[in-house]
Amino acid sequence: MPDNGRKADTVTLTIDGREVTVPKGTSLLDAAGGLGIDVPHYCYHPGLSAPAQCRICLVEVEGAPKLQPSCVTMAQDGQVVHTESPAATRMRKGVLEFYLVNHPLDCPICDMSGECKLQDYVFEEGREKGRGREPKRVFGRDDFGGDVLFYGDRCVMCTRCVRFMEEVARDPRLTVVERGSRAVIDTFFERGLEGASYAGNIVDICPVGALVSKDFLHKARAWDLDHTPSVCPGCSQGCNIELHTRDNLVQRLKPRENPEVNGHWMCDYGRANYEWMNRPDRLKEPAVGRGSDRRAADWQEVLQLLFGRLQEAGGAGVRLVGSPFASNEALAGLAALGGEAGSVEAGVFRSPRAPDEDPLPGFPTLVRRRDLAPNVDGAGILGFERTGGDDGSGGLEEVAGHEGVIVVLGDRLRDQGEDFGANASLFVYLGTVDSAAARNADFVLPIATFAEEEGSFVNVQGRLQRFWQGMHAPGYARPAWLVLGALAGALRGEGTPASAEEAFQRMVQEHAAFSGLDWDAVGAAGTRLEAAHA
Amino acid sequence: MAISVKVMRRPDPGRTSYMRATLKGMSLTFKHLVRLKKVTLEYPEDQPELHPRWRGTHRMEVHADGRPKCVACGLCPTVCPANCIRLVGGEDDQGNRYPIVYEIDEFRCIFCGMCQEVCPVEAIHVGQHFENAEYTRDRFVYDLDRLMEQDHPTTLLWDPSDPRSE
Repeated sequence: MPDNGRKADTVTLTIDGREVTVPKGTSLLDAAGGLGIDVPHYCYHPGLSAPAQCRICLVEVEGAPKLQPSCVTMAQDGQVVHTESPAATRMRKGVLEFYLVNHPLDCPICDMSGECKLQDYVFEEGREKGRGREPKRVFGRDDFGGDVLFYGDRCVMCTRCVRFMEEVARDPRLTVVERGSRAVIDTFFERGLEGASYAGNIVDICPVGALVSKDFLHKARAWDLDHTPSVCPGCSQGCNIELHTRDNLVQRLKPRENPEVNGHWMCDYGRANYEWMNRPDRLKEPAVGRGSDRRAADWQEVLQLLFGRLQEAGGAGVRLVGSPFASNEALAGLAALGGEAGSVEAGVFRSPRAPDEDPLPGFPTLVRRRDLAPNVDGAGILGFERTGGDDGSGGLEEVAGHEGVIVVLGDRLRDQGEDFGANASLFVYLGTVDSAAARNADFVLPIATFAEEEGSFVNVQGRLQRFWQGMHAPGYARPAWLVLGALAGALRGEGTPASAEEAFQRMVQEHAAFSGLDWDAVGAAGTRLEAAHA
Repeated sequence: MAISVKVMRRPDPGRTSYMRATLKGMSLTFKHLVRLKKVTLEYPEDQPELHPRWRGTHRMEVHADGRPKCVACGLCPTVCPANCIRLVGGEDDQGNRYPIVYEIDEFRCIFCGMCQEVCPVEAIHVGQHFENAEYTRDRFVYDLDRLMEQDHPTTLLWDPSDPRSE
């Protein structure tokens, strides 16, 4: 760090023989983490206070009479710290042995197995064989309510869950009862965690298998899951998440750290809202023809027929129905296609809205927003207008009877009758599942969900966030940006976008709100669209 | 190093007698003619004795009440090099973790025995068994019931009195 006269703000110390300069007030544990040294810890969590009670992060500081808990010891100038000295490793080995006095060896049936910190640390540094002869104390398991199940025997008393509910959720529903080896986490009376809307996070922060998700119970082993960085589609907050998939099915959603959006957390509504990605009754192949004339066809044929119809339609009035669940690239492709096919009379989207917001008091940036769709703001920026009611229905009266071109993307038209689009000269339906209202569609094109394609959303903060492909789309379903980009590209004579990145670049060129953005620079953390919310 | 060529001198075909070699061969034949030790096994009336470490088709051990011992920990499908085990875990009515689906494709299996070795509850075993003929191919995917029905002796992967070969 350069000496710029603000030297007092940083301290330089030596950890395991390596010198490091950190801001004043950094704990030894964080300073070591910056060097890539992982000091074992249970009670410390970057999003919570540090009570220094697990005693496993003790490190040797030269000059200190005893080992120091690195999570609360602040880095000081000239400190010399050893995390791997004989005293520190001997102490960790001892602490781990104490943890295993009562911890059951039920790793084979424990859901945390494979991502358990106790398992990791004992495997790295623990004793090969236990020396305990006494029977272990047994608590059994307790239903905490909500989605949380508590296995008291596995608990290491780090109290992260208690502190999360107290400090972050500000809804103290958990506490430690009893003392010593009989100490156990418990709820107050019969109230439990029922109705708490952020309680799922205590399952994530539990370093062992004491708190597990009922929904995920026994479903998959941690090492079988593929992790894909993504964005939660539950609301317009756009929490950064990871899709955990196995056998081409989403098994669970986990928050991914992003201090600008969701910190370490996500809400239970978003966490539980993934089953729709695993729907088996998906549209699997493109089809052409209205009503009883409908027949399946391959993409080549369908796109050529549709291209011909779009050229014929030239000049007709076009009405577009987008979806706040579609990516920016898909919506931009829809807008481009509408513009090429004729004159766009209206582009609308419908979004379900919750009656209220649900903030996380200890991390005010994170709020479960009213709009229960991930890309409401992106759709707005791309020229689509909200229509319909808060339950996501209605508002399509003008589209239903429209006589020109209708293109529906991603909206399932659940509330629309079978005569929807009956008068249209051309009706194209792009969707993940079939709809009764798509009966009059001339073309039914299967598209991928956000979990099956790459793309980006714009969240309520005006932040562009990318998501990655975690699953394969069923059958011949293709990403909407590819289908719409191919058609719009053909009408313009500029070819099909080869990747989501190319679709994104076309969008950046056309829409000023996105100008200056670079696909790679957006990265996994996302970036703010300054112009969008100026 | 130079290559050296060794020239073999063959006997002249016209001047060689094969009498000695023939008699040598015939003496071996006659020796077996009078030796009474039986070599042929009259299978299937006589069954061969399999070695203790013979690794044949699988068997699932069961508890006294008929439940499978398997706790669906997922280690055998993880360790299986042939990827022949399909396992879906779940919870039974007593709150125990158990396999809802446990299938072994015996055609894919290479009988390495690692599933038995890795099993923490000694549930899945390879067996001392080799008579596996079936009329259809799909019968070779053994499901949980089939694995529990098997009653052949299980394989000893190590000497129980000396598990570490010390």
